[in-house]
Amino acid sequence: MELFTPDFGLIFWMFVSFLVLFFILWKFAWPVILKTVDNRADLIDKGVEYAQSAKEQLDNARTSAQEVLNDARRQQADMLREADKIKTQIIEQAKSAAQTEAQKVMDSAKVQIEQQQKEAEQQFRHQVSEFALEIASKVVKGQLSDPQAQSKLANSILDDIESKEK
Amino acid sequence: MSRLINILIVAALTLLAPLSASALDESKAHDEETKINPKEIIFEHLGDGYGWEVPFNHHKRMPLPVIVFGSDGLHVFSSSRIDHGQEYRDGNTTFKVAGKDSPYKGKVVELVDGKEVKPYDISITKNVCALFISIMLTAGLMLWLAGYHKRHPYKAPRKGLGAVESILMFIYDGVIKTTLGRNAPRFAPYLLTVFFFIFGMNLLGLMVIFPGGANLTGNIAVTLVLAIFTFIVTNFWANKHYWKEIFWPDVPIWLKFPLPIMQVIEVFGMFTKPAALTVRLFANMMGGHMIVIVLTLLIFIFGAMSPLVGGATTVVSMIFSVFMLLIDVLVSFIQAYVFTMLSTIFISLAQEHEHKAEEKEKHKEERIENKLEAAASAAPAMK
Repeated sequence: MELFTPDFGLIFWMFVSFLVLFFILWKFAWPVILKTVDNRADLIDKGVEYAQSAKEQLDNARTSAQEVLNDARRQQADMLREADKIKTQIIEQAKSAAQTEAQKVMDSAKVQIEQQQKEAEQQFRHQVSEFALEIASKVVKGQLSDPQAQSKLANSILDDIESKEK
Repeated sequence: MSRLINILIVAALTLLAPLSASALDESKAHDEETKINPKEIIFEHLGDGYGWEVPFNHHKRMPLPVIVFGSDGLHVFSSSRIDHGQEYRDGNTTFKVAGKDSPYKGKVVELVDGKEVKPYDISITKNVCALFISIMLTAGLMLWLAGYHKRHPYKAPRKGLGAVESILMFIYDGVIKTTLGRNAPRFAPYLLTVFFFIFGMNLLGLMVIFPGGANLTGNIAVTLVLAIFTFIVTNFWANKHYWKEIFWPDVPIWLKFPLPIMQVIEVFGMFTKPAALTVRLFANMMGGHMIVIVLTLLIFIFGAMSPLVGGATTVVSMIFSVFMLLIDVLVSFIQAYVFTMLSTIFISLAQEHEHKAEEKEKHKEERIENKLEAAASAAPAMK
């Protein structure tokens, strides 16, 4: 069974050549290959990581931009609402101010009118009394000789007129 | 259609071939040498030799240097001088290849007073020569890859080198890194060297003519040396925990004292691992070669019976040998992979730490078991 008995020469050469092969590869091949292979794997990992973080950042930026936009919209709406409120308020104010002013004017006009009416009444009274006096004097001058009786008569007539007017 | 016709023509020709062969045979039917001795042919092909066969010629061999330390020192001469059993006188000593009935059958012996004495023989035999070729091939391939990496630090190679690198990454990432973890860079050079060396030798062995054809990994000396290297690496770089597990394992005290039962078992286990490595690779590769040779020999064995049977056998044998050779390509890879993976596992078992959490240990064991199972399921498939 020569197949199962290891041959000395082959064992010897196998030892030598394997050590030589291992030395050559250990010295010149494996460090370079394993280093670049690991570096490349690291590079790829980093690239993936970077892409992921970039995507995340982009998403973040997008959401933050959306937020800013929403904020601006909200502010805009708020401002519009505010302006509307102010507008109605001003109009209200103006309306009320105008109303009070008008009231004032009307009141003062009423007072004036009353005053003038009073004055006119007074005047009218005076004139009427003067007229009446004149008329009565003229009438009575002819009828009555006694001035006392004359004025008594005149007054009674005037009272009549007055009561009629009221 | 034309393809079918071609196949039929080839089949017919192969059927006819033994007819002419048998016609030749009949002319020298009395010649004893033409008789086929399958056992001898098989062992000649599986074994070693002092010259390298030349295709299509059974008598000429490529001469290789014979280096022997005889009784009076070193002798170096060409194997062509002792090729056909003749004696060769080098200086004061006579050498010849021992005959069939000698205990040193097929080896160079020194004739001292008519007796055969085996000298120390470190000849560059066929296997040694094939060994050198695969060393050069492996070294060349890896240096080429290293050169590429030096020139293009961040670029993955394409085509041929890309294939080499993808296999490398398969072993490095898939086996070495996952099993050894942070120890990977320390042992990766050895393991990768072993893998590519075995893979190269396996594939070269499948080639029939010159640079290949030697049954290297199917030779127990080669696999033995590789296993010894794994044994050395495992035990020289082993940590305290590994030795403690061997000489004072966690078992009931009566199992280790006063009778060192566990110690004996553990020390025995140290040696069974490389033994298993040796035999697994050797047997698988030798089996593959043997099947192909036997299938080829079947043609001649049956051809001697009758030309018709021979013709039929030719077709069947050819189909089967092509199939077996294709399987052997797969086996070449699987065996190199299994050898590397088992070496990695043996080394990693000698690197485990006691203080690492239990679950990690369990996890690792599970993983190893899975791998072993996978290897075990792959192993019978190739036998």
